[in-house]
Amino acid sequence: MGRARLDRGGDLVSAAALDVTSTRAWLLRFSEHVVADADELTELDRLVGDGDFGWNLSAAVRRARPGLESPAETPGELWSRLSDAFLAAGGTSGPLFGLWFGRLGASEATGWTGHDLADGLSRATEAVTRLGGASVGDCTMVDALVPATQAAADAADADWSDAVAAAAAAARTGAESTAPLVASRGRASYVGERARDVVDPGALAVAWFLEAATDTVR
Amino acid sequence: MTSSVINDADDFVREALEGLVATHGDLLALHDEPLFVTRRNPSTGAVALVSGGGSGHEPLHTGFVGDGMLDAAVPGAVFSSPTSLQVKAAVESVDTGRGVVLVVKNYTGDVLNFSIAAEVLADRHDVEVVVVDDDLATESAADGGPGRRGTAATVVVEKVCGAAARRGDDLAAVAGLGRRVVERSASLGVAYRACTNPLTGALSFDLAPGEIEVGVGIHGERGRSTQQAGTADEVVGDLVGRLVEHLDLGTGARVLLLVNGLGATHPLELSVAARAARAVLRDRGVVVERSLVGPYVTALDMHGLSVTLTRLDDELLELWDAPVSTAAVTW
Repeated sequence: MGRARLDRGGDLVSAAALDVTSTRAWLLRFSEHVVADADELTELDRLVGDGDFGWNLSAAVRRARPGLESPAETPGELWSRLSDAFLAAGGTSGPLFGLWFGRLGASEATGWTGHDLADGLSRATEAVTRLGGASVGDCTMVDALVPATQAAADAADADWSDAVAAAAAAARTGAESTAPLVASRGRASYVGERARDVVDPGALAVAWFLEAATDTVR
Repeated sequence: MTSSVINDADDFVREALEGLVATHGDLLALHDEPLFVTRRNPSTGAVALVSGGGSGHEPLHTGFVGDGMLDAAVPGAVFSSPTSLQVKAAVESVDTGRGVVLVVKNYTGDVLNFSIAAEVLADRHDVEVVVVDDDLATESAADGGPGRRGTAATVVVEKVCGAAARRGDDLAAVAGLGRRVVERSASLGVAYRACTNPLTGALSFDLAPGEIEVGVGIHGERGRSTQQAGTADEVVGDLVGRLVEHLDLGTGARVLLLVNGLGATHPLELSVAARAARAVLRDRGVVVERSLVGPYVTALDMHGLSVTLTRLDDELLELWDAPVSTAAVTW
Protein backbone atom coordinates (compact mmCIF):
# COMPACT_ATOMS: atom_id res chain seq x y z
CA MET A 1 0.00 0.00 0.00
CA GLY A 2 1.05 3.57 -0.61
CA ARG A 3 3.65 2.53 -3.16
CA ALA A 4 4.72 4.96 -5.84
CA ARG A 5 6.66 4.08 -8.94
CA LEU A 6 8.11 5.84 -11.93
CA ASP A 7 6.64 5.27 -15.34
CA ARG A 8 8.90 5.24 -18.37
CA GLY A 9 8.26 8.90 -19.06
CA GLY A 10 9.54 9.82 -15.61
CA ASP A 11 6.18 10.94 -14.16
CA LEU A 12 5.47 9.72 -10.68
CA VAL A 13 2.66 7.20 -11.00
CA SER A 14 0.84 6.11 -7.91
CA ALA A 15 0.10 2.43 -7.63
CA ALA A 16 -2.35 2.99 -4.77
CA ALA A 17 -4.68 5.58 -6.30
CA LEU A 18 -5.48 6.20 -9.94
CA ASP A 19 -5.14 9.97 -10.18
CA VAL A 20 -5.01 12.37 -13.12
CA THR A 21 -1.31 11.77 -13.73
CA SER A 22 -1.54 8.00 -13.80
CA THR A 23 -4.77 8.07 -15.85
CA ARG A 24 -3.10 10.33 -18.39
CA ALA A 25 -0.06 8.04 -18.57
CA TRP A 26 -2.34 5.00 -19.04
CA LEU A 27 -4.50 6.51 -21.78
CA LEU A 28 -1.51 7.93 -23.66
CA ARG A 29 0.29 4.59 -23.47
CA PHE A 30 -2.79 2.92 -24.97
CA SER A 31 -2.94 5.56 -27.71
CA GLU A 32 0.69 4.99 -28.63
CA HIS A 33 0.17 1.24 -28.80
CA VAL A 34 -2.86 1.58 -31.07
CA VAL A 35 -1.14 4.03 -33.42
CA ALA A 36 2.02 1.90 -33.56
CA ASP A 37 0.26 -1.43 -34.13
CA ALA A 38 -2.95 -0.42 -35.92
CA ASP A 39 -1.94 -2.65 -38.82
CA GLU A 40 -2.17 -5.73 -36.59
CA LEU A 41 -5.79 -4.90 -35.68
CA THR A 42 -6.61 -4.10 -39.29
CA GLU A 43 -5.19 -7.40 -40.46
CA LEU A 44 -7.24 -9.34 -37.89
CA ASP A 45 -10.33 -7.39 -38.89
CA ARG A 46 -9.66 -8.13 -42.56
CA LEU A 47 -9.84 -11.83 -41.71
CA VAL A 48 -13.03 -11.64 -39.63
CA GLY A 49 -14.69 -8.36 -40.64
CA ASP A 50 -14.40 -5.48 -43.08
CA GLY A 51 -10.84 -4.42 -42.32
CA ASP A 52 -11.32 -0.86 -41.09
CA PHE A 53 -11.08 -1.48 -37.35
CA GLY A 54 -7.41 -0.62 -36.84
CA TRP A 55 -7.77 2.54 -38.89
CA ASN A 56 -10.91 3.61 -37.00
CA LEU A 57 -9.28 3.02 -33.62
CA SER A 58 -6.13 4.78 -34.67
CA ALA A 59 -8.10 7.80 -35.91
CA ALA A 60 -10.02 7.91 -32.61
CA VAL A 61 -6.93 7.92 -30.38
CA ARG A 62 -5.33 10.58 -32.58
CA ARG A 63 -8.44 12.71 -32.11
CA ALA A 64 -8.23 12.12 -28.36
CA ARG A 65 -4.57 13.02 -27.97
CA PRO A 66 -4.79 16.83 -27.54
CA GLY A 67 -7.51 16.36 -24.90
CA LEU A 68 -5.48 13.74 -23.05
CA GLU A 69 -2.50 16.10 -22.92
CA SER A 70 -4.55 19.06 -21.64
CA PRO A 71 -4.97 19.90 -17.93
CA ALA A 72 -7.69 18.04 -16.00
CA GLU A 73 -9.02 18.17 -12.43
CA THR A 74 -10.19 14.58 -12.23
CA PRO A 75 -9.50 11.33 -14.08
CA GLY A 76 -13.14 11.47 -15.18
CA GLU A 77 -12.42 14.47 -17.40
CA LEU A 78 -9.73 12.54 -19.26
CA TRP A 79 -12.01 9.51 -19.68
CA SER A 80 -14.70 11.80 -21.06
CA ARG A 81 -12.33 13.24 -23.68
CA LEU A 82 -11.24 9.75 -24.72
CA SER A 83 -14.90 8.73 -24.89
CA ASP A 84 -15.85 11.68 -27.10
CA ALA A 85 -13.09 10.86 -29.57
CA PHE A 86 -14.51 7.35 -29.96
CA LEU A 87 -18.13 8.56 -30.06
CA ALA A 88 -17.14 10.60 -33.11
CA ALA A 89 -16.32 7.39 -35.01
CA GLY A 90 -18.62 5.76 -37.53
CA GLY A 91 -19.38 2.04 -37.59
CA THR A 92 -20.21 0.00 -34.52
CA SER A 93 -17.00 -0.73 -32.61
CA GLY A 94 -15.89 2.89 -32.23
CA PRO A 95 -19.13 4.11 -30.62
CA LEU A 96 -19.24 1.05 -28.33
CA PHE A 97 -15.69 1.77 -27.15
CA GLY A 98 -16.79 5.39 -26.64
CA LEU A 99 -19.69 4.17 -24.52
CA TRP A 100 -17.39 1.88 -22.53
CA PHE A 101 -14.82 4.61 -21.82
CA GLY A 102 -17.57 7.11 -21.03
CA ARG A 103 -19.27 4.90 -18.46
CA LEU A 104 -15.97 3.63 -17.06
CA GLY A 105 -14.87 7.19 -16.35
CA ALA A 106 -18.20 8.48 -15.00
CA SER A 107 -16.86 9.36 -11.53
CA GLU A 108 -16.05 12.59 -9.73
CA ALA A 109 -13.27 10.99 -7.65
CA THR A 110 -9.80 12.53 -7.91
CA GLY A 111 -7.99 9.35 -6.88
CA TRP A 112 -9.53 6.01 -7.77
CA THR A 113 -9.20 2.96 -5.56
CA GLY A 114 -9.41 -0.63 -6.78
CA HIS A 115 -13.12 -0.47 -5.95
CA ASP A 116 -13.63 2.67 -8.02
CA LEU A 117 -12.00 0.97 -10.98
CA ALA A 118 -13.97 -2.25 -10.51
CA ASP A 119 -17.21 -0.27 -10.24
CA GLY A 120 -16.37 1.69 -13.38
CA LEU A 121 -15.62 -1.47 -15.34
CA SER A 122 -18.85 -3.04 -14.13
CA ARG A 123 -20.91 0.02 -15.13
CA ALA A 124 -19.21 0.24 -18.52
CA THR A 125 -19.39 -3.43 -19.44
CA GLU A 126 -23.05 -3.66 -18.42
CA ALA A 127 -23.87 -0.76 -20.76
CA VAL A 128 -21.94 -2.23 -23.68
CA THR A 129 -23.52 -5.67 -23.37
CA ARG A 130 -27.00 -4.19 -23.02
CA LEU A 131 -26.81 -1.77 -25.96
CA GLY A 132 -24.48 -3.81 -28.18
CA GLY A 133 -26.49 -6.98 -27.69
CA ALA A 134 -23.50 -9.35 -27.71
CA SER A 135 -22.83 -12.12 -25.19
CA VAL A 136 -19.65 -13.96 -24.25
CA GLY A 137 -18.86 -16.43 -27.01
CA ASP A 138 -20.03 -14.22 -29.88
CA CYS A 139 -16.40 -13.35 -30.70
CA THR A 140 -16.62 -9.64 -29.91
CA MET A 141 -15.03 -7.19 -27.47
CA VAL A 142 -17.46 -8.56 -24.89
CA ASP A 143 -15.39 -11.78 -24.71
CA ALA A 144 -12.61 -9.71 -23.14
CA LEU A 145 -14.77 -7.19 -21.26
CA VAL A 146 -16.77 -9.63 -19.17
CA PRO A 147 -13.91 -11.70 -17.72
CA ALA A 148 -11.81 -8.55 -17.19
CA THR A 149 -14.64 -6.90 -15.29
CA GLN A 150 -15.10 -9.97 -13.12
CA ALA A 151 -11.36 -10.20 -12.41
CA ALA A 152 -11.24 -6.55 -11.37
CA ALA A 153 -14.20 -7.05 -9.05
CA ASP A 154 -12.46 -10.04 -7.45
CA ALA A 155 -9.29 -7.96 -6.92
CA ALA A 156 -11.02 -4.71 -5.93
CA ASP A 157 -9.70 -4.78 -2.33
CA ALA A 158 -6.16 -4.41 -3.68
CA ASP A 159 -4.56 -1.27 -5.17
CA TRP A 160 -6.02 -0.10 -8.48
CA SER A 161 -2.83 -1.30 -10.14
CA ASP A 162 -3.31 -4.85 -8.89
CA ALA A 163 -6.98 -4.78 -9.86
CA VAL A 164 -6.15 -3.58 -13.36
CA ALA A 165 -3.38 -6.17 -13.70
CA ALA A 166 -5.88 -8.91 -12.88
CA ALA A 167 -8.33 -7.42 -15.37
CA ALA A 168 -5.64 -7.21 -18.06
CA ALA A 169 -4.67 -10.86 -17.64
CA ALA A 170 -8.33 -11.92 -17.83
CA ALA A 171 -8.90 -9.73 -20.90
CA ARG A 172 -5.90 -11.31 -22.65
CA THR A 173 -7.22 -14.82 -21.91
CA GLY A 174 -10.69 -13.76 -23.01
CA ALA A 175 -9.39 -12.26 -26.24
CA GLU A 176 -7.42 -15.38 -27.05
CA SER A 177 -10.53 -17.46 -26.47
CA THR A 178 -12.05 -15.82 -29.55
CA ALA A 179 -9.53 -17.50 -31.86
CA PRO A 180 -11.59 -20.04 -33.80
CA LEU A 181 -9.11 -22.85 -33.10
CA VAL A 182 -9.85 -22.51 -29.40
CA ALA A 183 -13.55 -21.71 -29.74
CA SER A 184 -14.21 -24.84 -31.77
CA ARG A 185 -11.79 -27.07 -29.95
CA GLY A 186 -13.84 -30.21 -30.47
CA ARG A 187 -13.77 -29.78 -34.20
CA ALA A 188 -10.25 -28.43 -34.44
CA SER A 189 -9.46 -30.57 -37.44
CA TYR A 190 -12.01 -28.67 -39.52
CA VAL A 191 -10.45 -25.28 -38.83
CA GLY A 192 -8.18 -24.17 -41.61
CA GLU A 193 -4.67 -22.90 -40.97
CA ARG A 194 -5.66 -19.44 -42.14
CA ALA A 195 -8.21 -19.03 -39.37
CA ARG A 196 -5.86 -20.29 -36.68
CA ASP A 197 -5.14 -17.69 -34.02
CA VAL A 198 -7.48 -15.12 -35.50
CA VAL A 199 -8.32 -13.25 -32.35
CA ASP A 200 -11.25 -10.83 -32.46
CA PRO A 201 -9.66 -7.40 -32.95
CA GLY A 202 -12.13 -5.69 -30.59
CA ALA A 203 -11.36 -8.13 -27.80
CA LEU A 204 -7.64 -7.75 -28.46
CA ALA A 205 -7.95 -3.96 -28.24
CA VAL A 206 -9.57 -4.35 -24.81
CA ALA A 207 -6.57 -6.42 -23.69
CA TRP A 208 -4.17 -3.81 -25.08
CA PHE A 209 -6.08 -1.13 -23.25
CA LEU A 210 -5.85 -2.78 -19.81
CA GLU A 211 -2.27 -3.90 -20.41
CA ALA A 212 -1.36 -0.26 -21.08
CA ALA A 213 -2.28 0.49 -17.45
CA THR A 214 -0.02 -2.22 -16.09
CA ASP A 215 2.79 -0.93 -18.32
CA THR A 216 2.64 2.50 -16.71
CA VAL A 217 3.18 1.18 -13.18
CA ARG A 218 5.70 -1.47 -14.09
CA MET B 1 -18.75 13.99 -63.30
CA THR B 2 -21.91 14.21 -61.31
CA SER B 3 -25.53 13.77 -62.24
CA SER B 4 -26.92 15.91 -59.43
CA VAL B 5 -26.63 19.45 -58.09
CA ILE B 6 -23.51 18.77 -56.07
CA ASN B 7 -20.03 20.22 -55.65
CA ASP B 8 -17.93 17.73 -53.69
CA ALA B 9 -19.34 14.55 -52.19
CA ASP B 10 -17.59 15.22 -48.88
CA ASP B 11 -19.27 18.63 -48.59
CA PHE B 12 -22.72 17.63 -49.88
CA VAL B 13 -24.59 17.49 -46.57
CA ARG B 14 -22.78 20.42 -44.97
CA GLU B 15 -23.36 22.71 -47.95
CA ALA B 16 -27.04 21.75 -48.06
CA LEU B 17 -27.37 22.58 -44.36
CA GLU B 18 -25.63 25.90 -44.86
CA GLY B 19 -28.09 26.73 -47.62
CA LEU B 20 -31.09 25.65 -45.57
CA VAL B 21 -30.05 27.58 -42.48
CA ALA B 22 -29.25 30.69 -44.52
CA THR B 23 -32.67 30.47 -46.18
CA HIS B 24 -34.45 30.10 -42.84
CA GLY B 25 -32.22 32.35 -40.77
CA ASP B 26 -35.16 33.37 -38.57
CA LEU B 27 -35.84 29.73 -37.65
CA LEU B 28 -32.59 27.77 -37.72
CA ALA B 29 -29.01 27.83 -36.45
CA LEU B 30 -26.18 25.58 -37.64
CA HIS B 31 -23.70 24.10 -35.17
CA ASP B 32 -20.37 22.88 -36.46
CA GLU B 33 -17.95 20.25 -35.11
CA PRO B 34 -19.95 18.25 -34.37
CA LEU B 35 -22.64 19.05 -36.91
CA PHE B 36 -26.28 19.62 -35.93
CA VAL B 37 -29.12 22.12 -36.46
CA THR B 38 -31.11 23.85 -33.71
CA ARG B 39 -33.86 26.43 -33.44
CA ARG B 40 -32.60 30.00 -33.78
CA ASN B 41 -34.62 30.95 -30.70
CA PRO B 42 -34.46 28.01 -28.29
CA SER B 43 -37.49 27.22 -26.17
CA THR B 44 -37.19 27.84 -22.47
CA GLY B 45 -38.43 25.58 -19.74
CA ALA B 46 -39.86 22.90 -22.02
CA VAL B 47 -38.89 19.29 -22.62
CA ALA B 48 -36.59 19.30 -25.65
CA LEU B 49 -37.09 17.14 -28.73
CA VAL B 50 -34.15 15.89 -30.81
CA SER B 51 -34.25 13.67 -33.87
CA GLY B 52 -31.90 12.81 -36.69
CA GLY B 53 -30.57 10.12 -38.95
CA GLY B 54 -28.97 9.77 -42.33
CA SER B 55 -29.38 12.59 -44.81
CA GLY B 56 -31.29 12.11 -48.07
CA HIS B 57 -34.76 12.15 -46.43
CA GLU B 58 -35.26 15.93 -46.45
CA PRO B 59 -37.22 17.78 -45.32
CA LEU B 60 -36.97 15.18 -42.52
CA HIS B 61 -35.46 16.07 -40.01
CA THR B 62 -33.98 19.55 -40.43
CA GLY B 63 -37.17 20.88 -42.04
CA PHE B 64 -39.08 20.08 -38.86
CA VAL B 65 -36.89 22.10 -36.51
CA GLY B 66 -38.81 25.06 -35.14
CA ASP B 67 -41.49 26.22 -32.76
CA GLY B 68 -43.85 23.38 -31.87
CA MET B 69 -41.74 20.58 -33.30
CA LEU B 70 -38.01 19.69 -33.05
CA ASP B 71 -35.46 21.59 -30.97
CA ALA B 72 -32.56 19.99 -32.85
CA ALA B 73 -31.92 17.72 -35.83
CA VAL B 74 -28.74 15.67 -36.16
CA PRO B 75 -27.87 14.73 -39.74
CA GLY B 76 -25.51 11.96 -40.77
CA ALA B 77 -24.01 11.47 -44.22
CA VAL B 78 -26.47 10.37 -46.94
CA PHE B 79 -28.27 7.25 -45.67
CA SER B 80 -25.78 6.90 -42.75
CA SER B 81 -26.37 7.39 -39.05
CA PRO B 82 -24.98 10.50 -37.37
CA THR B 83 -22.33 9.77 -34.75
CA SER B 84 -23.08 9.44 -31.04
CA LEU B 85 -20.95 12.54 -30.48
CA GLN B 86 -23.25 14.65 -32.70
CA VAL B 87 -26.31 13.41 -30.81
CA LYS B 88 -24.62 14.01 -27.46
CA ALA B 89 -23.66 17.57 -28.41
CA ALA B 90 -27.19 18.31 -29.64
CA VAL B 91 -28.74 17.05 -26.38
CA GLU B 92 -26.30 19.12 -24.32
CA SER B 93 -27.15 22.16 -26.43
CA VAL B 94 -30.96 22.02 -26.16
CA ASP B 95 -31.72 20.51 -22.74
CA THR B 96 -33.43 23.19 -20.64
CA GLY B 97 -33.25 21.00 -17.55
CA ARG B 98 -36.57 19.26 -18.13
CA GLY B 99 -35.07 16.42 -20.16
CA VAL B 100 -34.81 15.42 -23.81
CA VAL B 101 -36.80 13.01 -25.98
CA LEU B 102 -34.84 11.41 -28.81
CA VAL B 103 -37.02 10.36 -31.76
CA VAL B 104 -35.20 7.59 -33.64
CA LYS B 105 -36.20 5.73 -36.78
CA ASN B 106 -35.66 2.01 -36.30
CA TYR B 107 -32.39 1.31 -38.10
CA THR B 108 -29.52 -0.50 -36.40
CA GLY B 109 -26.99 2.33 -36.74
CA ASP B 110 -29.38 5.08 -35.67
CA VAL B 111 -30.68 3.15 -32.68
CA LEU B 112 -27.14 2.29 -31.56
CA ASN B 113 -25.76 5.80 -31.86
CA PHE B 114 -28.75 7.55 -30.28
CA SER B 115 -28.93 4.97 -27.46
CA ILE B 116 -25.20 5.29 -26.77
CA ALA B 117 -25.52 9.07 -26.58
CA ALA B 118 -28.45 8.73 -24.15
CA GLU B 119 -26.46 6.31 -22.01
CA VAL B 120 -23.31 8.42 -21.87
CA LEU B 121 -25.41 11.43 -20.84
CA ALA B 122 -27.44 9.51 -18.27
CA ASP B 123 -25.73 11.00 -15.21
CA ARG B 124 -26.29 14.62 -16.28
CA HIS B 125 -29.39 14.62 -18.53
CA ASP B 126 -32.74 12.88 -18.40
CA VAL B 127 -33.16 11.29 -21.82
CA GLU B 128 -35.95 9.14 -23.25
CA VAL B 129 -35.64 7.33 -26.58
CA VAL B 130 -38.75 6.83 -28.74
CA VAL B 131 -38.14 4.36 -31.56
CA VAL B 132 -40.39 4.66 -34.63
CA ASP B 133 -41.08 1.40 -36.50
CA ASP B 134 -44.11 1.93 -38.72
CA ASP B 135 -43.14 0.19 -41.98
CA LEU B 136 -45.38 -2.86 -42.48
CA ALA B 137 -43.21 -4.12 -45.36
CA THR B 138 -40.68 -5.27 -42.77
CA GLU B 139 -43.33 -6.74 -40.47
CA SER B 140 -42.23 -10.35 -40.85
CA ALA B 141 -38.63 -9.77 -39.83
CA ALA B 142 -37.52 -12.73 -37.72
CA ASP B 143 -37.46 -12.56 -33.92
CA GLY B 144 -34.20 -11.12 -32.72
CA GLY B 145 -33.82 -9.23 -35.99
CA PRO B 146 -33.89 -5.47 -36.31
CA GLY B 147 -37.70 -5.33 -36.54
CA ARG B 148 -39.82 -2.98 -38.64
CA ARG B 149 -38.19 0.05 -40.22
CA GLY B 150 -39.06 3.58 -39.25
CA THR B 151 -40.42 5.77 -42.06
CA ALA B 152 -42.98 8.55 -42.51
CA ALA B 153 -44.81 8.12 -39.19
CA THR B 154 -41.74 9.89 -37.77
CA VAL B 155 -43.32 13.17 -38.91
CA VAL B 156 -46.43 12.48 -36.85
CA VAL B 157 -44.36 11.51 -33.81
CA GLU B 158 -42.28 14.68 -34.08
CA LYS B 159 -45.37 16.89 -34.48
CA VAL B 160 -47.28 15.35 -31.58
CA CYS B 161 -44.28 15.27 -29.22
CA GLY B 162 -43.32 18.82 -30.19
CA ALA B 163 -46.81 20.09 -29.40
CA ALA B 164 -46.86 18.21 -26.11
CA ALA B 165 -43.51 19.70 -25.10
CA ARG B 166 -44.71 23.15 -26.12
CA ARG B 167 -47.80 22.94 -23.89
CA GLY B 168 -45.56 22.03 -20.95
CA ASP B 169 -45.87 18.24 -20.65
CA ASP B 170 -43.12 16.53 -18.68
CA LEU B 171 -40.53 14.15 -20.12
CA ALA B 172 -42.45 10.94 -19.45
CA ALA B 173 -45.65 12.38 -20.93
CA VAL B 174 -43.96 13.61 -24.11
CA ALA B 175 -42.22 10.27 -24.64
CA GLY B 176 -45.45 8.41 -23.83
CA LEU B 177 -47.36 10.36 -26.48
CA GLY B 178 -44.62 9.57 -29.01
CA ARG B 179 -44.96 5.87 -28.25
CA ARG B 180 -48.74 6.13 -28.49
CA VAL B 181 -48.39 7.52 -32.02
CA VAL B 182 -45.98 4.71 -32.94
CA GLU B 183 -48.39 2.06 -31.68
CA ARG B 184 -51.23 3.58 -33.68
CA SER B 185 -49.37 4.15 -36.96
CA ALA B 186 -48.53 2.03 -39.98
CA SER B 187 -46.96 2.81 -43.37
CA LEU B 188 -46.32 1.18 -46.74
CA GLY B 189 -44.36 2.48 -49.70
CA VAL B 190 -44.19 1.85 -53.43
CA ALA B 191 -41.61 2.89 -56.03
CA TYR B 192 -42.04 3.51 -59.73
CA ARG B 193 -38.32 4.21 -60.12
CA ALA B 194 -35.43 3.68 -57.67
CA CYS B 195 -33.34 6.57 -56.36
CA THR B 196 -30.10 7.54 -58.05
CA ASN B 197 -26.68 7.84 -56.52
CA PRO B 198 -26.05 11.62 -56.54
CA LEU B 199 -22.47 11.10 -57.70
CA THR B 200 -22.79 8.43 -60.35
CA GLY B 201 -26.43 8.65 -61.36
CA ALA B 202 -26.70 4.88 -60.97
CA LEU B 203 -30.12 3.56 -59.95
CA SER B 204 -30.28 1.70 -56.63
CA PHE B 205 -32.31 -1.06 -58.35
CA ASP B 206 -33.81 -1.67 -61.77
CA LEU B 207 -37.44 -1.99 -62.79
CA ALA B 208 -38.70 -2.96 -66.22
CA PRO B 209 -41.16 -0.57 -67.88
CA GLY B 210 -44.57 -1.00 -66.27
CA GLU B 211 -43.21 -2.56 -63.11
CA ILE B 212 -43.44 -1.17 -59.57
CA GLU B 213 -41.61 -2.15 -56.40
CA VAL B 214 -43.99 -2.62 -53.47
CA GLY B 215 -42.83 -2.38 -49.86
CA VAL B 216 -39.86 -0.08 -50.40
CA GLY B 217 -38.13 1.70 -47.54
CA ILE B 218 -36.43 5.07 -47.68
CA HIS B 219 -32.84 4.05 -48.44
CA GLY B 220 -33.18 2.92 -52.03
CA GLU B 221 -33.41 -0.73 -51.06
CA ARG B 222 -35.66 -3.14 -52.94
CA GLY B 223 -39.12 -3.81 -51.53
CA ARG B 224 -41.03 -6.98 -50.77
CA SER B 225 -42.19 -7.70 -54.31
CA THR B 226 -42.01 -6.48 -57.88
CA GLN B 227 -45.41 -6.19 -59.52
CA GLN B 228 -47.03 -4.95 -62.68
CA ALA B 229 -48.18 -1.38 -62.09
CA GLY B 230 -51.94 -1.02 -62.08
CA THR B 231 -53.87 2.23 -62.01
CA ALA B 232 -53.22 4.71 -59.21
CA ASP B 233 -56.47 3.63 -57.58
CA GLU B 234 -55.35 0.00 -57.63
CA VAL B 235 -51.82 0.66 -56.35
CA VAL B 236 -52.84 3.06 -53.58
CA GLY B 237 -55.94 1.05 -52.77
CA ASP B 238 -53.81 -2.02 -52.14
CA LEU B 239 -51.52 -0.12 -49.76
CA VAL B 240 -54.35 1.53 -47.86
CA GLY B 241 -56.30 -1.72 -47.60
CA ARG B 242 -53.38 -3.40 -45.89
CA LEU B 243 -52.88 -0.49 -43.50
CA VAL B 244 -56.56 -0.52 -42.56
CA GLU B 245 -56.39 -4.25 -41.89
CA HIS B 246 -53.23 -3.99 -39.82
CA LEU B 247 -54.57 -1.14 -37.67
CA ASP B 248 -57.91 -2.91 -37.45
CA LEU B 249 -59.79 0.25 -38.47
CA GLY B 250 -63.53 -0.29 -38.45
CA THR B 251 -66.44 1.97 -39.27
CA GLY B 252 -66.14 5.26 -37.44
CA ALA B 253 -62.39 4.96 -36.78
CA ARG B 254 -60.67 8.34 -37.01
CA VAL B 255 -57.33 8.68 -38.76
CA LEU B 256 -54.63 11.05 -39.87
CA LEU B 257 -53.72 10.33 -43.51
CA LEU B 258 -50.18 11.10 -44.67
CA VAL B 259 -49.55 10.69 -48.40
CA ASN B 260 -45.81 11.11 -48.70
CA GLY B 261 -43.77 11.67 -51.84
CA LEU B 262 -40.46 9.79 -51.89
CA GLY B 263 -38.56 12.54 -53.72
CA ALA B 264 -39.43 12.73 -57.42
CA THR B 265 -43.19 12.29 -57.35
CA HIS B 266 -45.11 15.20 -58.83
CA PRO B 267 -47.70 17.06 -56.72
CA LEU B 268 -50.34 16.07 -59.30
CA GLU B 269 -49.52 12.42 -58.71
CA LEU B 270 -49.64 12.82 -54.93
CA SER B 271 -53.04 14.47 -55.20
CA VAL B 272 -54.30 11.55 -57.28
CA ALA B 273 -52.93 9.22 -54.59
CA ALA B 274 -54.63 11.23 -51.84
CA ARG B 275 -57.93 11.00 -53.72
CA ALA B 276 -57.51 7.23 -54.09
CA ALA B 277 -56.63 6.76 -50.42
CA ARG B 278 -59.64 8.79 -49.29
CA ALA B 279 -61.95 6.75 -51.52
CA VAL B 280 -60.83 3.48 -49.95
CA LEU B 281 -61.12 4.86 -46.43
CA ARG B 282 -64.57 6.30 -47.14
CA ASP B 283 -65.75 2.93 -48.46
CA ARG B 284 -64.66 1.34 -45.21
CA GLY B 285 -66.30 3.97 -43.04
CA VAL B 286 -62.96 5.32 -41.78
CA VAL B 287 -63.01 9.06 -41.05
CA VAL B 288 -60.07 11.08 -42.33
CA GLU B 289 -59.91 13.78 -39.65
CA ARG B 290 -56.72 15.38 -40.98
CA SER B 291 -54.33 14.77 -43.84
CA LEU B 292 -50.92 15.87 -45.00
CA VAL B 293 -49.87 15.40 -48.63
CA GLY B 294 -46.42 16.15 -50.01
CA PRO B 295 -42.77 15.13 -49.96
CA TYR B 296 -41.93 14.98 -46.25
CA VAL B 297 -39.80 11.83 -45.84
CA THR B 298 -37.91 11.26 -49.07
CA ALA B 299 -35.44 8.70 -50.38
CA LEU B 300 -33.29 11.09 -52.43
CA ASP B 301 -35.01 11.25 -55.84
CA MET B 302 -37.02 8.04 -55.67
CA HIS B 303 -40.18 8.18 -57.77
CA GLY B 304 -42.83 6.73 -55.54
CA LEU B 305 -44.90 7.36 -52.47
CA SER B 306 -45.79 6.02 -49.10
CA VAL B 307 -49.06 6.10 -47.22
CA THR B 308 -49.17 6.39 -43.43
CA LEU B 309 -52.27 6.08 -41.28
CA THR B 310 -52.36 7.08 -37.62
CA ARG B 311 -55.41 6.22 -35.58
CA LEU B 312 -56.36 9.44 -33.82
CA ASP B 313 -57.96 10.17 -30.49
CA ASP B 314 -59.02 13.59 -29.18
CA GLU B 315 -55.66 14.32 -27.57
CA LEU B 316 -53.58 13.33 -30.59
CA LEU B 317 -55.85 15.42 -32.82
CA GLU B 318 -55.47 18.44 -30.55
CA LEU B 319 -51.68 18.06 -30.57
CA TRP B 320 -51.60 17.62 -34.34
CA ASP B 321 -53.63 20.82 -34.73
CA ALA B 322 -51.47 22.85 -32.33
CA PRO B 323 -49.50 25.69 -33.94
CA VAL B 324 -46.20 24.82 -35.59
CA SER B 325 -43.63 26.93 -37.41
CA THR B 326 -40.87 25.11 -39.27
CA ALA B 327 -39.28 25.22 -42.71
CA ALA B 328 -41.43 22.31 -43.91
CA VAL B 329 -44.75 22.73 -42.11
CA THR B 330 -46.41 25.78 -40.63
CA TRP B 331 -49.93 26.23 -39.28
